[in-house]
Amino acid sequence: MMPLYAYVLVAFILVGMGAYGMMVKRNLIRILIGAEIMGNGVLIALIAFAMYGPTAGVYTFAGQGLVVLVISVFAAHTALAMVLMLMYHRRYGHVDLGKVVILEDEHFD
Amino acid sequence: MRLFMDFLPVIIWAILAGALVVIMLLTSWFLRPHTLQNSEKTASYECGEEPIGPARISYPYNYIVYTVLFVVVDVLTAFLWLFASASWDIRGSVLIVSQAIIFTLIIMIGIWYAVSRIPETILDGSETLALYREAKAKRDKEVETTH
Amino acid sequence: MQLDEATLIGIAEPLEFLAVTIAVIILAYLALEHKDIVYAAFFFGLMAAVVSGYFLFLEAPFVAGMQIAVYTGGISALIVFGVLLLPRSQDSSLETFPSLEKSRIGKLIAAAVTALSAALALTYPGVWQTAPSYAGIESEGANYFLEELAVWLWQDHGILIQIVGLIILTTLVGTIAIMRMEKAERLIPLKSDFGIEVIDLEKEDDHESDQEVSSSSEVEDQ
Repeated sequence: MMPLYAYVLVAFILVGMGAYGMMVKRNLIRILIGAEIMGNGVLIALIAFAMYGPTAGVYTFAGQGLVVLVISVFAAHTALAMVLMLMYHRRYGHVDLGKVVILEDEHFD
Repeated sequence: MRLFMDFLPVIIWAILAGALVVIMLLTSWFLRPHTLQNSEKTASYECGEEPIGPARISYPYNYIVYTVLFVVVDVLTAFLWLFASASWDIRGSVLIVSQAIIFTLIIMIGIWYAVSRIPETILDGSETLALYREAKAKRDKEVETTH
Repeated sequence: MQLDEATLIGIAEPLEFLAVTIAVIILAYLALEHKDIVYAAFFFGLMAAVVSGYFLFLEAPFVAGMQIAVYTGGISALIVFGVLLLPRSQDSSLETFPSLEKSRIGKLIAAAVTALSAALALTYPGVWQTAPSYAGIESEGANYFLEELAVWLWQDHGILIQIVGLIILTTLVGTIAIMRMEKAERLIPLKSDFGIEVIDLEKEDDHESDQEVSSSSEVEDQ
């Protein structure tokens, strides 16, 4: 078997690339893709620690079960994020992070 | 590692599928005549009219609901796959089957709500038309009162 | 040396791990950096499918299958669908950040996040071990993993599944609520390079959009 630090290396490389995608890119869809890549990295780390962790010789399925639940919750989160981006485009006409104006007071009167 | 070796035929099949697409494209590139292309030859065909603008239009936004519904049904299916592959101790006990039924019912309530409220999310022109007629009446009244 | 299965696995395993790692990193880079966003979405879907190979290395067959089904089949399709719904006349201008300062700050923060997660991961006391801490689990078939995972999830921790069901119910209700909130329109024509793409309703206290009201009144009276 591969040593644990190989999987952990891959995991935080993916987390770093996801963070880069979320911080530097301007298109909102690309930021969502960056969030997904970060999530994949975290899942790899979870399952790697589940197999190499201290379990006293008996394999428990807590890691795999947790990852199943996390994948489903993350899917729901991504669906809602996509709907929000589309509604933003419907209202403002662009998905450019450089043109996002957060405080518009047309609704707050 | 043994699982990875068990799934090695799947990986070979995926590589062969990709190679098939590449080979087909390369073969057609070899077999077609290589003449010079001008802008009239490479323009898209629009039944004899001049093409104006890009080929993509933007679709209505309310079809995203169906994709979100698909993701929800996918998650439900994944959990039910796990339930179906269990041993008879799990599949046969009343408590766990009722848990699965409750989970499916919770998600089906959500699906029913989403499907029954889809017509309210569609933008047909009626609200727009009503708002426009209000604005036009108000503007006509302003024009009348200033004259 | 004799070529039994253990030796073959010992030779082939680092090579396969390296191949999967290189594929994942290249696909993730392409998913973030390709100019065309449809290509980026498809590369992300392919990356999610290759990441499930990691789960097969780590003896988790159900998670590998769920990764392909939910990520590649669901979330990647969602992203491609969302990209298709947006008019793409403005894509290529979005990939260059106008000010160099902001992109430098962004890269700095990303490097800080990577360094922090590396520090957290590599100071775990058991991270340098080379063998998993159980014995002989590889000789069980895939059925063992599925059955035991079903026991853990459905029998011992069934309440977590109901909570996930409630979260998904929230997702569906929230989608409908967001789309109904945005249904009240304002007539503002959204112009792009090729003319008016969407015509929204005007705000009533906006004098400069009286022109649009008159132009749409001509369309109305035809």
